[in-house]
Amino acid sequence: MKTFLSFILKEARHILRDRRTMLILFGMPIVLMLLFGFAITNDVRNVRTVVVTSRMSPQIQASVERLSASEYFTIVATVATPQEAERLIRDQKADIALIPQHTHSQSLPMRVGSGCQWQIMVDGSDPNMAQQWSTYAQAILRDSGSSSALPLKEGAASFDGRIPSSTQMHSSPSLIGNSGGGSIKLLYNPQMRSAYNFVPAIMGMLLMLICAMMTSISIVREKERGTMEVLLVSPVRPLMVIVAKAIPYLVLAFAILVVILLMGHYVLDVPLAGSLVWIVIVSVIYILLALSLGLLISNIAQTQLVALLLSAMVLLMPVVMLSGMLFPIESMPQVLQWIAAFIPPRYYIQAMRKLMIMGVGIHEVLNEVIILSAMTAVLLTIALATFKVRLE
Amino acid sequence: MNAIEVNHVSKSYGKVQALNDVSFTVSPGEVFGLIGPDGAGKTSMFRILCSLLLPDEGTASVDGFDVVREMKQARRRVGYMPGKFSLYQDLTVEENLQFFATLFGTTIEAGYDSIRAIYSQIERFRHRRAGALSGGMKQKLALSCALVHQPRVLFLDEPTTGVDPVSRKELWEMLGTLRERGITIVASTPYLDEVRRCDRVAFLQEGKVQGIDTPELILERFAAVFNPPGLEPSATQSQATEKVIEVSHLVKAFGTFRAVDDISFEVRRGEIFGFLGANGAGKTTAMHMLTGLNQPTSGTGKVAGFDIRTEYEQIKHHIGYMSQRFSLYEDLTVAENIRLFAGIYGMKDSDIKAKTDNVLRQLKFEGHKDALVRSLPLGWKQKLAFSVSIFHDPAIVFLDEPTGGVDPATRRQFWELISDAAARGITVFVTTHYMDEAEYCDRISIMVDGQIRAIGTPDELKHQFQQPDMDHVFTFLARQATRSSD
Amino acid sequence: MLKYLLQKEFLQIRRNAFLPRLIILFPIVMMSVIPWVMNQEVKNIKVCVVDNDRSTVSQQLVHRIEASNYFIFTGQQPTYSAALHAIETSKSDIALVIPPNYSKGQAQVLIAANAVNGTKGSIGASYLAQIIQADKLTSRQVDISSDAGSNSSTHTLYNPHQDYKVFMIPALFAILMMLMCGFLPTLNIVGEKEAGTIEQINVTPVPKWAFILAKLIPYWLIALFIITACLLLSWAIYGITCQGPLALVYLLAMLLALFFSSLGLIISNYSETMQQAIFVMWFFVVCLMLLSGLFTPTRSMPGWAYLTTYVNPMHYFIDAIRTVFVRGGGFTSIAHQVLALTLIGLTMATWAVASYRKNN
Repeated sequence: MKTFLSFILKEARHILRDRRTMLILFGMPIVLMLLFGFAITNDVRNVRTVVVTSRMSPQIQASVERLSASEYFTIVATVATPQEAERLIRDQKADIALIPQHTHSQSLPMRVGSGCQWQIMVDGSDPNMAQQWSTYAQAILRDSGSSSALPLKEGAASFDGRIPSSTQMHSSPSLIGNSGGGSIKLLYNPQMRSAYNFVPAIMGMLLMLICAMMTSISIVREKERGTMEVLLVSPVRPLMVIVAKAIPYLVLAFAILVVILLMGHYVLDVPLAGSLVWIVIVSVIYILLALSLGLLISNIAQTQLVALLLSAMVLLMPVVMLSGMLFPIESMPQVLQWIAAFIPPRYYIQAMRKLMIMGVGIHEVLNEVIILSAMTAVLLTIALATFKVRLE
Repeated sequence: MNAIEVNHVSKSYGKVQALNDVSFTVSPGEVFGLIGPDGAGKTSMFRILCSLLLPDEGTASVDGFDVVREMKQARRRVGYMPGKFSLYQDLTVEENLQFFATLFGTTIEAGYDSIRAIYSQIERFRHRRAGALSGGMKQKLALSCALVHQPRVLFLDEPTTGVDPVSRKELWEMLGTLRERGITIVASTPYLDEVRRCDRVAFLQEGKVQGIDTPELILERFAAVFNPPGLEPSATQSQATEKVIEVSHLVKAFGTFRAVDDISFEVRRGEIFGFLGANGAGKTTAMHMLTGLNQPTSGTGKVAGFDIRTEYEQIKHHIGYMSQRFSLYEDLTVAENIRLFAGIYGMKDSDIKAKTDNVLRQLKFEGHKDALVRSLPLGWKQKLAFSVSIFHDPAIVFLDEPTGGVDPATRRQFWELISDAAARGITVFVTTHYMDEAEYCDRISIMVDGQIRAIGTPDELKHQFQQPDMDHVFTFLARQATRSSD
Repeated sequence: MLKYLLQKEFLQIRRNAFLPRLIILFPIVMMSVIPWVMNQEVKNIKVCVVDNDRSTVSQQLVHRIEASNYFIFTGQQPTYSAALHAIETSKSDIALVIPPNYSKGQAQVLIAANAVNGTKGSIGASYLAQIIQADKLTSRQVDISSDAGSNSSTHTLYNPHQDYKVFMIPALFAILMMLMCGFLPTLNIVGEKEAGTIEQINVTPVPKWAFILAKLIPYWLIALFIITACLLLSWAIYGITCQGPLALVYLLAMLLALFFSSLGLIISNYSETMQQAIFVMWFFVVCLMLLSGLFTPTRSMPGWAYLTTYVNPMHYFIDAIRTVFVRGGGFTSIAHQVLALTLIGLTMATWAVASYRKNN
């Protein structure tokens, strides 16, 4: 037992002595939470608009003014031809161009609308944003003529952004609500706050990377420096060496988890609707899984360089890309969906979303918990089986 | 029952046969030496005995337990200090020792007696991080860590590489007391005086046991390997008076600690200058200032006519350097390393090519031109590193413990290379812990506690301190060190 | 002198058992897989229905949902709470409750969507609402044309099929460059420090700039390889080609590689261990990437965050490469990004040289 404690003390010292790494370990979650919480949004705002017209009619003038009065659009230029407008868009000086078509303006004064047809030319390189911009523009242009409720189509499309914020919801030109189709109820996240979605995702990503990377490096470093030989030959059992190595990282990961949860709850107002006990238990299972993965990497890698590249790049990409944290798994091709089924963070993120946000009981996440536990058991078994008690 | 039994053990790595049908036994309480040139298979033998490697053929047992089948029991009974043992750089001296003590189920207090002689020398640094210790002190700490517990059988793979002569004597005295307690010790060493302290030695060469006997008989039988005829003291005593190194009142302080404390000396062109001193006396720090790796805190110095404080980049054009730690690129081949460093010094491609062949012939390396440096035995690497450091014909070459851990025959060859270089007019500035090598130097300085306590030719020094040889001169001076009692 | 140092760097990369494989395979695998993944389209939403009406009209509605390729119909649930339970166990994303009098046109349906992922929830709900709307209109023979009221048409430039891959492939170029040209040099100098070889280099008269340049150039070549492989794969697999001049893509890639490899070397110079180096690099990379407009438009950021884009080379690169690759812009379109990237790159390279200390 004393040996065990002294082992843990030694590992803890390794971690604590490296101030810079410590700083990053705790700074990373905080910065990520702040960035995602406050800086990264898909709101339609400050869209650079160019108006193509040779002749400002009062109607056009009115529409343009309404447009620039809104917080969504900023008129950056008025040009004479669509070609010029396109050049501006291509040169990244503008995002959207409005081209009035004067065909009906005088002949159909009774028509609903401003009496002016618009053609909207939009930079489509980002398809989601393009759709949103044009929807917003259409809505504002139409608002001028009729104050009637917008058809649902536009209302719906205005939510086409990935991370709309709550402020946008209240002031957007059209709201989801009653419409011809029926009433819509947004469960668990009525204000559609993106933090609800990404806090569990950040937990899944950071815990995985930190645990896997830190354990694998610390073991491989001992191999590289030659101290592993001494540890192996000592009377201490290899299993204990591994467990002792894992415990400080478990504690560290736990501390990071607490930091994320506290920040999420108090700074970003993310609910902790479910049982905290289960959140912690599932997280611990997940941390164990990440530690086993780290151990496995350390068994494969002979040098720190390889261990680092394996965990920082080869592991990072599937975790970020295939776990459903940024991109929905359902939209992927079938083959990738199968692969994604083997990505552990996917289940953890899902379980956390349910426990934290939806506030369900453990029964509803049983599936995820079982899969995670099984994966942990398998990975741990493989890692322990391939752990070499001898040199190559 | 024998403490160790090795029966017909063979081990090969791919095509390389490291051990070939090796058998020997060691009785309990014996000090057994495992000696032989680099690459003879000593480290593989140690690893097999420690159950770190599986033998391809044959069996081995330690304290009655088979190292393959009864690994757990065997591991409980052995202590092992690997050749490239390194400590946890970010832990302090005391934390390292404490960790290893606990690892072996003991405490510093309980084991203190058995490490006192060595640990007391570094104890005053116990709150310093191991990474900040000098090379020799690290080795002493590593030794303390290995010896703090008392296993049934102790394996030491070249434990004294880089350790100064005085401390080596103390270590072997310690091993003597362990032996009295019935601990079996197997050690490998390139030092002949240490070989003589063993009860029996096994001489390994190319993976085969050439002979097992008392040290005297083995050293006699294989005198060609162990006791090569001494080198003629360089007859071409340089008469030049031109000074290539001039140093006056040089100081390097780290905080309040003065690693180099006001040293002054001169070195003439073509001299072989031995820069001796105990571990931690400040040799490497002084050398770093002379080679422009470090800035002095105060004092002045000129190397090859350039100021070490301001013109250190010019100095670098005129010197060669071989560090304590092997520092060629292990993932490049012999020829590629030569080409790289020659190229850095601005040599022409055609010159490099011609000279490479020459040097390789001189080193008898022709067949290994395209071998990765990683695959060479230590002694070869060191010879190569030296040849690389003088490849561009520098005015001065600085060698920091160039022969640490190298076997006697290779050391002898190494010194031939050194005297060749000196004969070509290259000034050689060398540190060493081998006192037989000190005798080959034209002049010697001995550093103690950051200061130069003696300087002169070997004969002058022996005369001055009235000692029979350099070993005694060194011991006499180094024992006056006061730093350890700070 | 540079020649010899360069040769050394290349030999070291080639001799490593892992690096050449990583350098070649990683971009290829990423390019073949990730564009399929980087898709923010919402598809395959799982819907369950609580049909309290049980009429032919409601049946017809359910069939319509089943037929839609946005939805996967996961079955009927007897009650609303059963449907909620289905959502809680991830069996469904959306529950549609059809009221008893639906077929008589009296009552409205209820769409309850799991909005933890706000986008998915709301988009899913509105798609469903559209289907219901359409269903109502067709089943009651209402004239839809009068309702349309559309007085504007949208013309989408550059990406007429609204293909997310077109948007994301240039971003992927940036990510690959960042990972390969950023992480590898980060480990380089600190690796030499740990191996002790840097000391041997430091006592030679090698100029600092030559040493650093020799470490930068291999990563430019790696960048060249990556960008070539990316362009080829994007053409071969996705049929997406560069709209603007190819030379500009290469120019931008070189400039970005200069920045990232310099950043890596700077961090490497200041670090003592590989672990430290990689964590610091990782931190910078994540921040640069998130604030670059790679995933979300920079203009939507709050003011303080938008200010950081002025010094974020990743932002200039993303802007410029999308202009060239997607919008087909020429040099004049991206002149100011090229200028900014060059300035930042050169500053970082100078810093990398200055922070390498041969003497302390």
